[in-house]
Amino acid sequence: MLTPLFAAFLLLQQPGHRTIAIDERLAEDGRISIGDRLTISSTPGSLSGDTVIVSAIVKRGADPAEIARSEYRVRMHLDHLQKVAGYGDRVDRFAVSSRGPRTIDHALSAINATAFGFQAWRSRDIAVETSRTFQVVSRFHKAIGLITIVASAIFLLCIMLLKVEERRRDVAALRLMGISRATVVKGIVAEAALLALIGCALGVALGWVSSQFINWYYQGIYRTPLYFSLITPGIVSLAVGLSLVLGIGAGFVASLRLVRTPPLTLFGR
Amino acid sequence: MRFALAWSSLRRHGTRTLLATLGVAVAAAMLLDMVMMSTGLRESFRELLLSRGFQLRLAPRGTLPFDTDATIENTTGIIAKLRANPAIVTVSPVLGGTIHVPVRGKVVTSAALGVNPLVQGDYELLSGKDPKGRDDIVANDDFLRATGARVGDTIEVSAGYDPQLRTYAGSRKMVVTGRARFLYGAAAQLATAMQLSTLQEMGGPDRRDDSSLFMMKVRADAQVESARAWIERAIPEVSAISTSSALAQVDQRLSYFRQLALILGTVSLFVGFLLVTTLMTVSVNERISEITVMRALGVSRMHVVQQIVLEGIVITIGGATAGLGLGLVTARYLNGILSSFPGLPVAIDFFLFQPKAAWVSLGLLSLSGIAAGVYPSYRAASLPIATTLRQEAIA
Repeated sequence: MLTPLFAAFLLLQQPGHRTIAIDERLAEDGRISIGDRLTISSTPGSLSGDTVIVSAIVKRGADPAEIARSEYRVRMHLDHLQKVAGYGDRVDRFAVSSRGPRTIDHALSAINATAFGFQAWRSRDIAVETSRTFQVVSRFHKAIGLITIVASAIFLLCIMLLKVEERRRDVAALRLMGISRATVVKGIVAEAALLALIGCALGVALGWVSSQFINWYYQGIYRTPLYFSLITPGIVSLAVGLSLVLGIGAGFVASLRLVRTPPLTLFGR
Repeated sequence: MRFALAWSSLRRHGTRTLLATLGVAVAAAMLLDMVMMSTGLRESFRELLLSRGFQLRLAPRGTLPFDTDATIENTTGIIAKLRANPAIVTVSPVLGGTIHVPVRGKVVTSAALGVNPLVQGDYELLSGKDPKGRDDIVANDDFLRATGARVGDTIEVSAGYDPQLRTYAGSRKMVVTGRARFLYGAAAQLATAMQLSTLQEMGGPDRRDDSSLFMMKVRADAQVESARAWIERAIPEVSAISTSSALAQVDQRLSYFRQLALILGTVSLFVGFLLVTTLMTVSVNERISEITVMRALGVSRMHVVQQIVLEGIVITIGGATAGLGLGLVTARYLNGILSSFPGLPVAIDFFLFQPKAAWVSLGLLSLSGIAAGVYPSYRAASLPIATTLRQEAIA
């Protein structure tokens, strides 16, 4: 409690200096604390600059657009930055809030009708435009996912085929004992379903552990609170559904092949 | 003999062999794609950086070229300093900006580069002439299409707006002297180039002697890294970036893709290995009696092992060969997706085919195929002959 009060006291004691807020990454790397004096300049390596006091350390937001750029962020008052950067009375953009969703269209057309050299956009449209990078990454992930599903399907079919064919003699014995083809098929399909379910449970657990590791690893590398891997109920349902359908389908196909073969042939006679 | 036996064994279980080969093909395709991705982007970027022979680049301190709107002041002074170093043979300053061209009631906005046409390394001229005059401009096809201009036409070009006076700022009439392909341009990006001094003038007094980037060629017998270190000492307001340091920066920014390639490549290799191992184990278990009879007839243990390992190799090589073709098709598809990254130069490929990548994939899979067959075959060939024959007969 005393430290913030002391920092605030220090700030009040130095009215000649402007204050800035820095992000936690800069504070950590530069070992900067609240109340520290810094000299800032728009010219790299400049010896003369504006002395400021750090008044706040800001937590970084989970912005995907920033993860690959290991940049520091400093927040200043607008007039201060304009002065330091020699930017004159210019800004890059204005954020405008409207009275409600219904007034947005009217405000947009009114601004664009009178504007010269600038244009008004909906925040939603800007968000779509700036998230194009992540749409590309998302499409790439979907494509990789599709290839993985194809590979898993073939793998599963192959394994089920081998697993069922390993039971040639059991099936032959059952058929010779008078057990119907349908019962044999049902038994094998039930076994396949059980195997698929156990595999799903293990897969979901492995996926969850991997997801935790991925988030821990990349959050550390990129120093961001962003989540890189999310396991949602939808994803789990898709994975479990696909595995069950593929597992049961593969079991069914393999068992059909087996019951259509004469029992003595299965015995190798 | 061994190959004939292995082949007949594989043919006896056609469906199983086909599925296993298909599984290995998909794993091989994925592995090839991941090997291509892990090296492709880096190699492609390196080729792009060195395409015009510039080994060094200077950007405003702490930034990468054109990463921000920051510029370097005192271009003339910096060129003079750079020329004082005998290791530097060519200096090409570049200023980046935006131009606006009013066309039939609308405004076409395009990227513009201010360059020295004699030493520039940003574009390749496709037709026409370089912008050697103060009012000359060269443009890419996207720009010409958007404006409807052709080589020889005169267009009105502005560098900005003056909202208070409601007029364009830095306007001048320019002649399109050539069509060019911009090496660092993104897909569908409108791009133009003109003389550096022209773009500086159009930018107003603030940009009178500014540059965004300097590109430099270093003498063949000089050390690039020494020149880079000298520049950082002599000109503290810039960051000097050599090809290797630029690649290191790119590696850092795109480490995600390399790590993804490593993880998926490892998983693919493991899946391929697991598939062949499972197949070989089941296949060997099924053929215990056959193998024991062969052993009883005097066939050596090594012969049996070699035959079964050969089966694994045939599946692996068959699958890997099919997988190489499949991998190239999927790499093209995936590259098409990643190439649409906003601002990514057209010349950059995420998946670059290199024969080495193909050989690495094929070699890794072949090794895993051999390893997959060794244990089950050795185990089967080592079973006691008499006991196994008796058990099989009872069964």
